Amino acid sequence: MDTFFSTYGFLMVQMMLQALLGLSLYFPMMAGQLSLASPGFYALGGYIAAVISTKVVVTQGMYPFHLLLLEILLGAMASGVLALLVGIPALRLKGIYLALATIAFVEILRVVSLNLDITGGAVGIFGIPQPFANPLSYALLVLPLLILVAWFAARLERSRVGRAFTAIREDELAADAMGINPTYYKVLAFVIGAMVAGGIGAISAHFLNTWNARQGTFDAAINVLAYVLIGGSRTFWGAIVGGFALTALPEILRPLGDLRLIVNGLLLVIGAIYLPQGLIRPAWLAALGKRKVALVQPKGEL
Amino acid sequence: MTTVLEVQNFTRRFGGLIAVNEVSFAVQSNEIFGLIGPNGAGKTTTFNMMSGLTPPSSGTLLYQGKNITNLKPFQIAALGMARTFQNIRLFGNLTALENVKIGQHIHSSSGVLNGVFGIGKARAEEKQILEKANELLELVGLADRASVEARNFSYGDQRRLEVARALALQPKVLLLDEPAAGMNPNEKAALSDFIRSVRERFQLTVVLIEHHVPLVMGLCDRIAVLNFGQRIALGTPAEVANDPAVIEAYLGGDD
Repeated sequence: MDTFFSTYGFLMVQMMLQALLGLSLYFPMMAGQLSLASPGFYALGGYIAAVISTKVVVTQGMYPFHLLLLEILLGAMASGVLALLVGIPALRLKGIYLALATIAFVEILRVVSLNLDITGGAVGIFGIPQPFANPLSYALLVLPLLILVAWFAARLERSRVGRAFTAIREDELAADAMGINPTYYKVLAFVIGAMVAGGIGAISAHFLNTWNARQGTFDAAINVLAYVLIGGSRTFWGAIVGGFALTALPEILRPLGDLRLIVNGLLLVIGAIYLPQGLIRPAWLAALGKRKVALVQPKGEL
Repeated sequence: MTTVLEVQNFTRRFGGLIAVNEVSFAVQSNEIFGLIGPNGAGKTTTFNMMSGLTPPSSGTLLYQGKNITNLKPFQIAALGMARTFQNIRLFGNLTALENVKIGQHIHSSSGVLNGVFGIGKARAEEKQILEKANELLELVGLADRASVEARNFSYGDQRRLEVARALALQPKVLLLDEPAAGMNPNEKAALSDFIRSVRERFQLTVVLIEHHVPLVMGLCDRIAVLNFGQRIALGTPAEVANDPAVIEAYLGGDD
């Protein structure tokens, strides 16, 4: 068992981090907005953590946990502010045009980080200090965070703000006519997603020990989109299941050697064709819920 | 009787086409006002301008004496004007209950944090929203199917659900775009009584677009007739029915 955890500890935490990134993309999607900006905010959060822990605060030995929490907070706040500035003009675009604009945003951040001194240019920042003794211990922080964000998403869906999001997703014009300000709620959803991505970036910088311009790329944006599309875009479970499955898949396929990337790609294509709504659908969850109700009240009408 | 809504010289051009041309009328509070006319007369365009969905090329919209011409749809809705759509625009993948809950958006105020954590006023607000939604579904006779997705309802039921959603805004003015379309004769007959009862109960002003002439004649206090984007008549049903211009528009002239 110990060898299992020491071998796969890194992967398990990576799966949780990617699920959280998937969730960061799910929030704007709740309001019907296809944004691929998450890796940009993820990169920003990572750079904030990397700069603070290597250049601002120099510590010996284990990196203090409270400083890590502070970095997460700063990463989230900075991403939120940037999302507000970018979101107000960008969210005037719809559908694929918004997706393209957000990819451009990710590219701009990447090129800027390649050319700044503070981000270490093309080399990036390395030797980022560790707040935990081994990779698996990161789960002590990341798992509760995943549960918290998932719970947040679940509660949000049932609140007034979440209903406004889904109304815009279903029919923006009708939502507008019902007194919902579409711009306000689209920007709000975008900012929430950006804050999650920024916070996750701060953790990832420590977890990966090094941070450079390869963290926030077009490839990463497409990967995160795949989590949500393959997992299912209509419930937060989709982002989690997709993030877990697609992060683990290349490792599971490792015995196939070089073929694994081909098989990985094929599975994505097959998934997109045969499960266009993703693995997890709200109707299934509703059916599960009804079964529970039926068990509690055997005489109740459905 | 006071004027609640005043349309002044509404004009809307789409490229070279003048869809609505210098149309004016005033709606009195608590009346049922009909907007009729042949296909393509500009009725729905006029409605869209009244609810902010289509900005007028020129003209003014006054609501309780206040100029609201350039307000956005959500701002007009918040002032107390709710509408339904000719081609029904429910939130199809959401349940009937959720649709009516969404209609109460402007009468609640909880934000992200108190909504998620269920603190402050949010909890009481949610309870109130649920009660009100159930009450409205009861009113339109859909209470037993509250948890069915809107897209699974029959055409007539979708129209009723859309009215319930509009009533959830607690409007002072209700704009109904062809409420009887797709209904069978029995449903149409019941619709007149329903609209009257809703007006009494919520002290509403109703403006409606309708094709079904007997329904309009029996229901409306006053009617404006549009043809080719122009208002050709305005008055009580009896006055309008005997107007030569209206007869010509509907039955065709001698030329």
